[in-house]
Amino acid sequence: MSPDIIRLILQATADTLTMVAVAAGIGTLLGLPLGVFLATSKRGELFAAPFANAVLGALVNATRSTPFIILVVAIIPFTRLLAGTSIGTAAAIVPLTVASTPFIARLIEGAIREVDQGLVEAARSMGATPVQIVRKVLVPEALPAIVLGLTLAIVSLLGFSAMVGAVGGGGLGDLGIRYGYQRFMPDVMAAVVAVLIVLVQTVQSIGDRLARHLNKRLRHA
Amino acid sequence: MNAPLKPDAFRVGIDIPPLPEPIIRFERVGKVFAGRRGQSEVEALAGIDLDVPKGAIVGVIGRSGAGKSTLIRLVNGLERASSGRILIEGEDVTGLSEAGWRARRRTTGMIFQHFNLLSSRTVFDNVALPLEIAGTPRAEITTQVERLLDLVGLADKRERYPAELSGGQKQRVGIARALATEPKVLLCDEATSALDPETTQSILALLKQVNRELGVTILLITHEIPVIKEICDRVAVIEGGRIVEEGDTFSVLTQPKHPTTARFVEAVTGVDLPAHLAGRLRTEPRPGDAAVLRITFTGENATAPVISRLSSIIGVDVNILAGRIDAIAGKPFGSLLVSVPAREPELGAVLGALKSLELKVEVIGHVS
Repeated sequence: MSPDIIRLILQATADTLTMVAVAAGIGTLLGLPLGVFLATSKRGELFAAPFANAVLGALVNATRSTPFIILVVAIIPFTRLLAGTSIGTAAAIVPLTVASTPFIARLIEGAIREVDQGLVEAARSMGATPVQIVRKVLVPEALPAIVLGLTLAIVSLLGFSAMVGAVGGGGLGDLGIRYGYQRFMPDVMAAVVAVLIVLVQTVQSIGDRLARHLNKRLRHA
Repeated sequence: MNAPLKPDAFRVGIDIPPLPEPIIRFERVGKVFAGRRGQSEVEALAGIDLDVPKGAIVGVIGRSGAGKSTLIRLVNGLERASSGRILIEGEDVTGLSEAGWRARRRTTGMIFQHFNLLSSRTVFDNVALPLEIAGTPRAEITTQVERLLDLVGLADKRERYPAELSGGQKQRVGIARALATEPKVLLCDEATSALDPETTQSILALLKQVNRELGVTILLITHEIPVIKEICDRVAVIEGGRIVEEGDTFSVLTQPKHPTTARFVEAVTGVDLPAHLAGRLRTEPRPGDAAVLRITFTGENATAPVISRLSSIIGVDVNILAGRIDAIAGKPFGSLLVSVPAREPELGAVLGALKSLELKVEVIGHVS
């Protein structure tokens, strides 16, 4: 492989990492409160607001059921509004974030719902406010599951980021399609896939290790 | 002019000291749960009248579904009464807002059957949680938590996580946590039901210590009569959402009036005939039969040497078939099954002698 190609691969890797990191970061910032709300706002729950819960739930489902490639195209005006352009790495971050936020919210909702209701009752018996219950009980107790959920979300984002190449986003997927497929350079294709495999493996093992470290439910001998 | 007679002067018999003022009082309390989708509503509690005297240990016993969990949750507002009134330290808490309840809950500790400790927090941080919630300064939290861990005997476990502790140790953490804000009342929700008998004993001893040394009033619910027998000053028996019997533990357990109470009590006070005799028990005596008597010992008579007196003074042979002597609420209580000759005058003399000792005797049958 020529140095130029290697430089292209490095650049594409950096672009992918940037897109995924920013989308995952913003997705978590938005998805965490959304997930907590979804997990605590049904009838009889801490922040009971069944109507808002139903509306947000439907919105989340709608976003999640739209195929990513269609979502990318459908929100181009919104992307242009935020990023100033609809082409390139910065622009690709917008649909990635829009797709990841409801996904992360659902994962966090699931993690929070797994927390033993007895702990919520114990906290209530101490006079905790709903906000204190979320901050001191629900989120810390769900943290290992949240970390595993975020790991899954990041791995999925790596896959999604390959698709934004189709609309002019950069990154490894774009490189694979343009050089590996359209220019018949199987070595570039193989390199792209290899880099993605390494990235996914790395993310997954960091996530697993962090979750295990945070999970105090198991005895550490 | 004569001084007016006090009504007390007319009282006959043993003078029962008046109960201390109740710290918790239920007045005709009812609780109805709304039915789920088309189902009719469920009446969990009805007409509950109950006083919890200050400084006492009061037990509520009932089977699962009897309403005892709902009852205990009314005291800290985790459930709200549908009717009636609940007074805590004289204050009517029935209409309290959620914010009002939050403030109240800081003066009421609660422990749970499954401990409900946070797995993500160390022992120290679990005990610190109610203080963090109350906004106590960090330095104060440290002294208080250390004091409590000493009290429950877990000072060496402060940096451990709940998963590294035994059930008994977890409940000790639960007790320390419940006492962190120095509550006046401790609610125990089946606190020993997940523990083995030996650990149960040690937790009950700790609860007793907390009650005596810190003056914390304890209201506990359980389905285990040994818990009541061991530490409760008073007991209420709940069945189908109603209190069917209530009183001081010794009287209720030794003279149960309601069938539900009797069933619970059987396990601790009942004595059964050995199987080979039970099958041969007859109501009507035949010549040469022996009468089977159940003698119930209570209070100071429980330790009197009754059997040896019967044989030495009246000169009849007393055959002991089964028996048990136990302590209920700290007082001895025993039950003994014996057989004596069924012929007169021996039988009459034995019954007379036992009755003169103020023991409860009953002829339950005859065997050859």
